[in-house]
Amino acid sequence: MTDTIIETRGLVRRFSGFTAVDGVNLKIARNSVHALIGPNGAGKTTVFNLISKFLAPSEGQILFNGRDITRTKPAEVARQGMVRSFQISAIFGRMTVAENLRIALQRPTGLSMNFLRGDTVLAGLDGRVDELLDAVGMLDWRDRPAAGLPYGRKRALEFATTLALDPELMLLDEPMAGLGTEDIERITALIAGEAQRRTILMVEHNLSVVAELADRITVLARGNMLAEGNYADISADEAVIEAYIGGDID
Amino acid sequence: MTELLGIPPVLLFGQLLIGLINGLFYALMSMGVAIIFGMLRIGNFVHGAQYMLGAFGAWFLISLPDLFPGLGLPSLGYWWALVLVPPAVAVIGALMERVFIRRVYNLEHAYGLLLTVGMAFVIEGLFNVKFGAAGQQYGVPDLLKGGVNLGFMFLPIYRIWVIVAALVVCFGTWAVIERTRLGAYLRAATENPDLVRTFGINVPRMLMLTYAFGVGLAGLTGVMAAPIYQVSPQMGQSIIITIFAVVVIGGMGSIMGAIVSGIGLGVIEGLTKVFWPEASSTAIFICMALVLILRPQGLFGKETSAHSGADITIARRESILENGRIWIPVLAIGGLLLPYLVYPVFAMKILCFALFACAYNLIFGYVGLLAFGHAAFFGASAYGTAHLASVWGWSPEASLLGGVVLATGLGALFGWLAIRRQGLYFAMITLALAQVLVFYAVQANWTHGEDGIQSVPRGMLFGVFDLNDMMTMYFFVLAVFLIGFAFIYRLLRSPFGQVLRAIRDNEARATSLGYSTERFKLIAFTLSALLAGVAGGVKALVFQIASLADLHFMTSADALLMTLIGGVGTILGPVVGAAIVVTLQREFAEFGAWVIVVQGAAFVLCVLFLRQGVVGTLENWLGRRAERAREAGLSRRDPAE
Ligand SMILES: Nc1ncnc2c1ncn2[C@@H]1O[C@H](COP(=O)(O)OP(=O)(O)OP(=O)(O)O)[C@@H](O)[C@H]1O
Ligand SMILES: [Mg+2]
Repeated sequence: MTDTIIETRGLVRRFSGFTAVDGVNLKIARNSVHALIGPNGAGKTTVFNLISKFLAPSEGQILFNGRDITRTKPAEVARQGMVRSFQISAIFGRMTVAENLRIALQRPTGLSMNFLRGDTVLAGLDGRVDELLDAVGMLDWRDRPAAGLPYGRKRALEFATTLALDPELMLLDEPMAGLGTEDIERITALIAGEAQRRTILMVEHNLSVVAELADRITVLARGNMLAEGNYADISADEAVIEAYIGGDID
Repeated sequence: MTELLGIPPVLLFGQLLIGLINGLFYALMSMGVAIIFGMLRIGNFVHGAQYMLGAFGAWFLISLPDLFPGLGLPSLGYWWALVLVPPAVAVIGALMERVFIRRVYNLEHAYGLLLTVGMAFVIEGLFNVKFGAAGQQYGVPDLLKGGVNLGFMFLPIYRIWVIVAALVVCFGTWAVIERTRLGAYLRAATENPDLVRTFGINVPRMLMLTYAFGVGLAGLTGVMAAPIYQVSPQMGQSIIITIFAVVVIGGMGSIMGAIVSGIGLGVIEGLTKVFWPEASSTAIFICMALVLILRPQGLFGKETSAHSGADITIARRESILENGRIWIPVLAIGGLLLPYLVYPVFAMKILCFALFACAYNLIFGYVGLLAFGHAAFFGASAYGTAHLASVWGWSPEASLLGGVVLATGLGALFGWLAIRRQGLYFAMITLALAQVLVFYAVQANWTHGEDGIQSVPRGMLFGVFDLNDMMTMYFFVLAVFLIGFAFIYRLLRSPFGQVLRAIRDNEARATSLGYSTERFKLIAFTLSALLAGVAGGVKALVFQIASLADLHFMTSADALLMTLIGGVGTILGPVVGAAIVVTLQREFAEFGAWVIVVQGAAFVLCVLFLRQGVVGTLENWLGRRAERAREAGLSRRDPAE
């Protein structure tokens, strides 16, 4: 096992002529919390989409645990242990909260192709569902349809669903966006708790959250890597301050 | 120069010329479809009927004295038609947009397609009622009569004219859209209607004019085609399926793409006629399959972004109407009583189509894929079963199994090809692939062309039950239906069914959880084909015939209509819908061609006014009533606390 869980080499992505990501070389250390920050439109989500294979790179290479995944399908990298969340909360709205978690837990069981047995064969997962719900403080919401949850709860549910797969690497795209102070505190605590067990790569605009959680920070601007280091290094960096002027630094 | 590659040049160049002309027609038509899709996001299935209107318009003008004797009207020839008819068809198009199409802009793509299917049926049905299936002749105008003898072939002047005129229109349209300010607005409005609105442009009017323009092109093509082809009510229906295949090949992204692929495919089709005549009708569809394998986004298309299927299910899962534990026994009891209430043959027809519609609902309602060619599986199994039973002398259960295996194999193949594209493309691809089977069945020996396979023996089921006995046959059909229904119900509540729900809800999220969503969709599609095959095979045994009608697009449309009327994505909807549609078809059978008109009208009305279907509406009503009761109960308790 190497100490680098994800490495990108010369990652480039163009959208019909426009270069959104322009030669990004990232190295994410195992069991660290790594934050990706940068002004709007810097290419952070695009980098996420590239790493999680939702987009194909125009150039460059991506290594996951030393294996080349540049041509791997997104579902396949998910099965290898890299699970992402989305900038806009992604839940299964027509399903109940418990069903949302069960659909994640069901995947590693290998029962998903089975169309002849009732879903009672999945009853064994219910204990784990409740544990996860308890962890995010949502046991009371268990049987509610997910679409009707308040936004903060949706994000918490999405987080719990990601956790349900016990991923080696979690990609979180702006987990705090649209949340109130209370929710932010709760989710920050959840992430901090999980950071012991896995690697977390997160995009986040809320710099106080980044300061609290991140071991290492990469700053992206106009598709380029501007700087990298810990919070103190970054906040002292001239180029970073420059890029954020007129931008949205808090 | 006497022979080229062993082919007489007269034949070679003659077919090349026809191919070029057809290709130009394809180009004009697919350009219209592409423009309309680009601007309105509507898959304009009625384009073929609008083309037919153009051809009939020309014929009307020239036949005015015969059509209205005594009014002293002049006979207006080709040149008049060329000037008057395209604008007239465009005006009809504008009215259609204004009255109908405008209402579905904000709905799922599927509804736009279904609406235009309905309008096509109404228009073509009405012309069929008035003029019958036979074609009308339309002469070449005097000025363009005759031809040039090139030594190796005779070149009719009218065809030269068509080539020149069509090329001018194609490139004129391209220039307008790609090179003018108007075209720039059009393209901008496609991408961002709100932005264009802020420029003070009236977007609704622009949409209407765009639609009218695309339809006008179809009308113009119809006028130009009138002297070459028979003017008949069916002329649009066969061409629209080809046009959809052309659009899938070219990709709807660019006008030039539509022109180039239209012309190229016409020429390829012409050449196939020379070198391999049997394959000529399927050449374009085979090209489509190759393009899907090698370059799924189409030759000129942009990379398709992943987006999930149509979300058109309205079922309330907790509703009592969705509870199979109640409804499977109820259906069983109802089924036992049915043959004592209506003719057993009629009851069997309902059951066969109910199973077919349930199979269709599995893919349309629960996976959200707008499959448009399920008749392929229904019909293939009907033919397979019929052949095995009558020629090979297999027992009914073995024949049925054989038919179902055939349908399932085709389902896996078609699904594998079609799943590469999303949304409207998926509909077009499944439609086109199904059409290949129709052409095949017309030509192959074992399918007996127009006659079909007749007098299929029903035989002894498991060597014990004599299916020639009406009631034995009926109970066999009922048992098959109930097993099929229960199978679907079980599937929907299985771990697999849960994944299907997740995929329909949020495909990207399901992928990020590690589900290879395409594989799940493909399995669901194949299972749906399997069940459609069961329905088709049983139908062949009941009616003792397998015919082209079983493969025809109308049969696919039947399944769709049944599902829509009953309620998409509800477990009972397809059953209710099948009962309604089969009954309607029987009631209107004596009015001949009117059946199609009625069915088309039913499509239009359902899309506009009854999108929830009968069962969905009922579920909604029950659901709301229960909610009100709960609220009332709560407010009554509150003061006591
Ligand atoms: N599918 C796409 N097609 C075309 N351009 C795109 C696409 N996706 C992203 N872009 C462009 O790429 C650039 C980077 O976008 P991206 O979403 O990665 O930024 P981001 O850093 O995540 O911004 P934000 O903080 O607003 O989420 C933007 O200019 C965006 O418009
Ligand atoms: Mg982003």
